[in-house]
Amino acid sequence: MTMQYDDNTTRRAVLAAAAGGAAVAASAPARAQQPRAQGPLVWLDMDQQALDDAYDQIVYAPNREQVAKRRIANSERARAAIGAPERVAYGATEIEKLDIYRTRQANAPVNIFVHGGAWRANRAADYACLAEPFVRSGAHFVILDFTNVDDAGGSLFPMVEQVRRAVGWVYKNAESFGGDPARLYLSSHSSGSHIGGCVVTHDWRKEGLPVDILKGATLGSGMYDLKPVRLSKRSKYVKFTDAMEEALSAQRHIDKLNTPLILAHGTYETPEFQRQTRDFYAAVKAAGKPVELIIGEGYNHFEMLETLANPYGLLGRAVLAQMRLGTAA
Amino acid sequence: MPSRRNGLLTRRALVAATVLGAGGSALAQRPPQPPRVKGPLVWLDMDQQDLDDAYDQLVYAPNRDYILKRCARNSELARERLGAPKRFAYGATPIEALDVFTTKVANAPVSVFVHGGAWRTGLAINYAYAAEMFVNAGAHHVVLDFNNVLETGGDLMVMADQVRRAVAWVYRNAKSFGGDGERLYVCGHSSGGHLAGVLLTTDWKKEFGLPPTVIKGGVCGSGMYDLKPVRLSKRSSYVKFTDAMEDKLSPQRHLDLLAAPVALVHGTLETPEFQRQSRDFAAAVKAAGKPVTLAVMESYNHFEVMEQLGNPYSLFGRAVLEQMRLAPR
Repeated sequence: MTMQYDDNTTRRAVLAAAAGGAAVAASAPARAQQPRAQGPLVWLDMDQQALDDAYDQIVYAPNREQVAKRRIANSERARAAIGAPERVAYGATEIEKLDIYRTRQANAPVNIFVHGGAWRANRAADYACLAEPFVRSGAHFVILDFTNVDDAGGSLFPMVEQVRRAVGWVYKNAESFGGDPARLYLSSHSSGSHIGGCVVTHDWRKEGLPVDILKGATLGSGMYDLKPVRLSKRSKYVKFTDAMEEALSAQRHIDKLNTPLILAHGTYETPEFQRQTRDFYAAVKAAGKPVELIIGEGYNHFEMLETLANPYGLLGRAVLAQMRLGTAA
Repeated sequence: MPSRRNGLLTRRALVAATVLGAGGSALAQRPPQPPRVKGPLVWLDMDQQDLDDAYDQLVYAPNRDYILKRCARNSELARERLGAPKRFAYGATPIEALDVFTTKVANAPVSVFVHGGAWRTGLAINYAYAAEMFVNAGAHHVVLDFNNVLETGGDLMVMADQVRRAVAWVYRNAKSFGGDGERLYVCGHSSGGHLAGVLLTTDWKKEFGLPPTVIKGGVCGSGMYDLKPVRLSKRSSYVKFTDAMEDKLSPQRHLDLLAAPVALVHGTLETPEFQRQSRDFAAAVKAAGKPVTLAVMESYNHFEVMEQLGNPYSLFGRAVLEQMRLAPR
């Protein structure tokens, strides 16, 4: 099923010479790379440059800006089609709000989406395009806003804490918008899936909430162990500590996992983003907990998320099936 | 709405410098082009090179092979889920056959899809990726096979005749697979959009003894509707254009025969000519006082538009379903 490249270096060289349409300007730093001497290995078979590239999406997905632009355009269109969401506060600060796109069905299941953006970027409004298939299939779709790592002084804890709190809010308040708190699901992408991983491995008893608060989660293109991320250039803007690495590496807390998972990545993602999903899948499976792996053939990091906006796409189909809202004829 | 750059040359140079994901290998053949002196104008504001590029998708959509491969793979997955289609012959030669993905709804409307490929490539088997959307929405989905222009000695008339005979066959035989011949719709993309335009402007009474309203609606994606500039481009190296062919197969010149609503779709990242062709055809149909819509997909290139036929919430998929009065599901 998986298409493998013989040699990651070759593939990277091909891609690094690359810039997709609108991505040209954005990827100016991704200069055409000559074959180069490998430096000391810092992680697996990677030297510093290889590891940095493996945590820099644009090196492998040069059409990032183009895909973002159409996501935003499609989200505007979606809001015109299904109406503006109800925007509700789940916390005291300005950013602690969530957008609820309501389905007409009463007592309907709820999907909570956690966006990505390397922990630094993006906002809920620009993901409305994901809502329509769910709303039309009989589920409420909730898109979270939360702070970013730059506003949080380099700490990932506030983001994870906010998202957990938002999930708790949805559980407690689902009935107020016609949702069924017993059928809460989560979906996420990229750094949002890192946070999603931390949410599904949270000890909910601390909040006095059920350990199976989430009945299923689909984590796309995420990171589940922060050690290699910490070794990469992402540590320039994330102020990693031993405690942060340990507490927020979902793969190290599988004992607390009580939610069936679907994990997904595309075959054109960076080597690390493929490995992170593969390894987390293997670890969850080894722990004897329910998990499914979906590999998107021919999709890069950003194109994977686009498949969630389509009930017949890889992720859209998977999440609807997980919520038992299948699209079967 | 379309994003415009200051100079066409700039855009072309930019895009030519580009490699996308797995499109890389395909594009490796095309080195970045230095700015050049413009030659005599051959069409609108274009010299020969501009015009040739405007009819060469790869120049503007370097990820062509990557998307085609993905659609072929997704077609395979669709067959795995739906089962193999029924295959019927509509003519005497082996290629004159069509695939029918049947819906469970009785006496259902029928969508007939005409694939693209610059008239010289493509097979029905690789264009099944949208079948589930149609079948689940309650329509039969017919995908046509027909000769390519290399096999017909450069003659598009043979291809036009084949797709016309295929539609006549579907009209007459729809009942045999549970279809309602009186609710027959056509859809095509690229050179298949051109052929869909030809179908919509066919003299059904004269040529087949059928009612002029055989087709109840058509969606033409990223097509060509006047062949004059195509004839002036390098495509004439493999299409043996004649005055008669140019005239008969330019749908824009036969709007008197148009008897069904037309929906046109193109992306903002398509070549200048593929954007203009749709725009001008829409204006001409409107000027003729006949029903037409034009949907412009922000930040999609030629092949990315094609892929979105399989998404009921994209502008392409939505146009097709709305025309057939089917709700997306």
